[in-house]
Parts: sequence; C-alpha cells; structure tokens
Amino acid sequence: MTLLITIFLPMQVIAQEEEPTNETSSNSHQSDSAQAWLAKMSDAVKSLNYTISFILLKPGADSQPYLWRHGVNEAGLEMEQLNQLNGPGREVVRIGNKVSYFEPNVPPYSLQSSIINGPFPSEFFQRPEKLMLGYEFIMVGRSRIAGRAAQQIRIISKDKSRFGLNVWLDQETGLLLKMNLIGQEAQLLEQIQVTGLQVTKEPDPFFAKIEPGMLPEVVNFNPSAAINSPWTIKYLPKGMTIVKRDLRRLSGSGEVVEYIMLSDGLVDISVYIQDRSNSKPQDNLVGTVQSDTLLTIEHGELNITIIGKIPAATANAIAKSIQRII
Amino acid sequence: MSQKFENLSALVDGEDSTSTSSSSHVLDAVKNDAELQLKWKSYHLIRDGLRQELPANINFDIADRVAQALESEPAILAPKKTWRDLPLVGTVIPFAKQGGQMAIAASVAVAMIIGVQQFNQTDANQPFNAAPPIPGIQGGLSPVSFDQTRAIPNSDGVEQRRRINAYLTDHKQQLRFKTMQLNNDESTILDLNIKNEEAQSDIVENTPQ
Repeated sequence: MTLLITIFLPMQVIAQEEEPTNETSSNSHQSDSAQAWLAKMSDAVKSLNYTISFILLKPGADSQPYLWRHGVNEAGLEMEQLNQLNGPGREVVRIGNKVSYFEPNVPPYSLQSSIINGPFPSEFFQRPEKLMLGYEFIMVGRSRIAGRAAQQIRIISKDKSRFGLNVWLDQETGLLLKMNLIGQEAQLLEQIQVTGLQVTKEPDPFFAKIEPGMLPEVVNFNPSAAINSPWTIKYLPKGMTIVKRDLRRLSGSGEVVEYIMLSDGLVDISVYIQDRSNSKPQDNLVGTVQSDTLLTIEHGELNITIIGKIPAATANAIAKSIQRII
Repeated sequence: MSQKFENLSALVDGEDSTSTSSSSHVLDAVKNDAELQLKWKSYHLIRDGLRQELPANINFDIADRVAQALESEPAILAPKKTWRDLPLVGTVIPFAKQGGQMAIAASVAVAMIIGVQQFNQTDANQPFNAAPPIPGIQGGLSPVSFDQTRAIPNSDGVEQRRRINAYLTDHKQQLRFKTMQLNNDESTILDLNIKNEEAQSDIVENTPQ
C-alpha cells in the first residue's frame, strides 16, 4: 500500500504543474539525483524497521532528545513510536493510521492520521515529491554524520520566500541523519541531529507489546462546513496552498477568528483573520518564538496574525495581500 | 612618591596596623589617584599570586569590559536587521519589549495542556465551525464581556500578550490536528486494511470475557 502512494502522489504533482525532467520514480534509487535520494528516503522511512535517537535544537529552548522507532509487521501494517526522553515523558504511537497521544496531565486520545506530526516535518519524510512545486533540490556532496557516510542535499525555495533546508541522508539506508533549517542570512534556525541509527530485520520488540484494541478512542472532528469568507489571500508563496479554513474560537482567549492553514509540504503556516471592529485594539508586532515567526498587524479593517516557520517579510506580504472579495 | 606606594602596599598586606584613620587616609588617596589605583590592582594581583589564590582564568579589566559590552549591546534582543527591512518597521514594536521569549514559550506549554483538555471534554468550538458567517457582522459571536474589557486601557500590552499566547497555542494545536485533514483523501486504501486489523483485534479483546 505504501508503494501505491509513492507512485500515486508524483502523478498528482505532475498534473498540477509541468515538471520538465524530474519525474521521480520510486525505483530509481541507483541514480544519483537529489530527487532519487529523497524518494529513497521516503521509501525507507515507510518500509524499514528502524530505531533512531535524535536531538532537536531550537533557539531559546533546551535541547530535546527523542527516540523514534518504526516497524512494519508481517501483515504490512506500519507501526511507529515517538518518545520524548527528557521530562515527564510524552509518547506518540501510531498503528496504521491511528495516532495515539500519551501525555502527562491529559487523558490519552487518538487521532485518525497516517503520520505523526511530531517535532520533524513528517509530511516531508513521507512525500517529498510535494516540495517540487515550491523548492529546488541540490545535491551538495558527501560527508560523515553520526559516524555514518551521509549524502547532503540542500533544499531552497524557488521564490526565496521561505527558509532553506539542509538534509543529510544515510548513504546506506536513505534515512535522515541530520536536518538544518537555515534562515535567509544562513543562520541556523532549527536542527535535528541523529545520534544513533539502527536498522533491523524485525520490528522492535516494543511493537509486539502494543495491543491495538487497548489504544484510546479516536477523537472525531465534525468536518466544518465550508465557510463563505469575504476575504481572500492574493499572494501565496510558490507551492503553498490552503489546506484548511474555518471559523474557530481560540481556546486561550475565547475570541472568534477566521482560521486558514497554508502548507507547502514542508512548513505549515497559520493565518488568523479578525475583524477589527469587534476585536480589541492591538499593536503591530513581529518577532520569533523559538523557530516560529509571529507577525500581527492591522490591515485595513482587519487584525491579521500569521505564525509559522517563514521569514517575517513573507508573512508580511501574505498579510498585506488579504483583500475583501464580497 | 614611594612613601604612598609603601603605605598602599602595607594596607593591601594587612600590615598597616597603626590606626584606622591612617588606612582610611590611604584609601582616600587611592580614590583620587589614578596611578595608585593601578598599583592597587597590581598589588592585589601579586598578593593573590603569592598566596596561590589566583583563579584559572584571569580577566584583567573585567569591570571595564562589562561596561563596554553593555555600551555596545543592542537594546533589542530580537534579530535587528530582518525587521528593519520590513516596510512596516515604523509601526512595529519589537517583541522583546512585550516580554521575553521564554515567558511566552512557557505559558504556551501551560496553555497547550489546557487547550487539549478543553478539546477533549467538549465540542466547545463546534457551533463556531458550523455557524455560517454573516458578512459584515461576524462580530455577533463575540463574548458578552467584550464592551467592558475594551473600556480598560490596553497600553501595558498584557491583553495583547495573552492574545498572542492564544494564537501560539492554537497554532500548535492546529499543527497536531492537521494530519487527519490532510490524509482524508489518500487514506481510503489504508483505512480498509486498518479496519480489518481493528476488527480482528476486537475479537481478540472480547473472547476472554
């Protein structure tokens, strides 16, 4: 079934925009192009039995060590575990497309999803083809990471509107060894450094202990009705699309806002639109919270807030492009 | 000339036993004499050296350097250049002024827990998801206490900081819940497999009873 997806998705991408030479095929691992390496990565992430220890570094925050395990059982069912090793312990377990969260102070719950949206861009690992619309892939060369031979690939946005990414993939398996999120002045914004990688023939014994029937219930969201918003975003960075849009009440402040999520397959951006006539006056702000950029401005009759891993100038351009259409 | 060095040396060595008035006299002299101040420093250094009390790293002029560093340190902690490039610069207030990064991050962690709890317990935001927006009067959904809070002057930014935290919390929550929305389209094949799996595991669950 994983094969089906890998073959199916590139076709979608090609349908959306003509890609002159770069058709990825999941079998072209021998070739040395960046696309082939990323295809190898996504294939390995989905099909191998592995245990990876990595450390996540963000500016202004303590480093966070994680344990990441993945296995495929005889029935072809994918199992995945992500465990935060410092502190009281947060654990996410995925069996097939049921993702269960176990966290302190919160009753465990499950979501219907085929990826863990963890500290790393899972969507990028699973389907890097999605990035071909907005990013360019450049082979950089080989180096040694976490004691293993690694292949470095640089990923930069075609219209320079987003941060760049440097990834190092294991020469042998194609799994991730290191990932740097790079700002526009080449400063390091976020880093994942793998410290241990084991690929095994059988899934880790941990997965045998999980009883799928004992996992918490799936929380069901009622699909929100398509909203008929009077606002439109005129400028989207290349490759970005609206993946979600609804009216929602913020649990923190109780205010009602229009919510739009933009995604390019690597970064997700939240856009909050609020009519100024019924919200409190606010100052224009721009800043960073760890590796997220936060921008909140008054624009026409709106208060607009944008959060995500994008340069502030891009966030500003998106905010300023919001217009009334009704 | 050498007499005043002598006096100072005696003071540093603790040998100036004559009287407190004479030591205060020497101290006054040190305060007003740059040359003596230099000597004061080096005598102490020599004394520490002789007593083997010197630290592993000696920072000469540390006070001067701290002062210098403070002088040249930018007042704003947020990255300077990027924001300057923005067209909205004039109206923007740097984040640092609004409270530290850490403070916001910490409150996000707390709020995140609350947020998820709320989410689990009720469908609080459900009516808002379903409510059709009415162009122009979307504000009809605002909380009742709205007018009261508005009357309070907002200059200290506490209110806004709270709102930013609410946005950050919501952003984190949205990222976590995003996956399912995305996978609806492609997960049908997976779904079938999983349903079979789950059906089987249910049977296993039920048999002991």
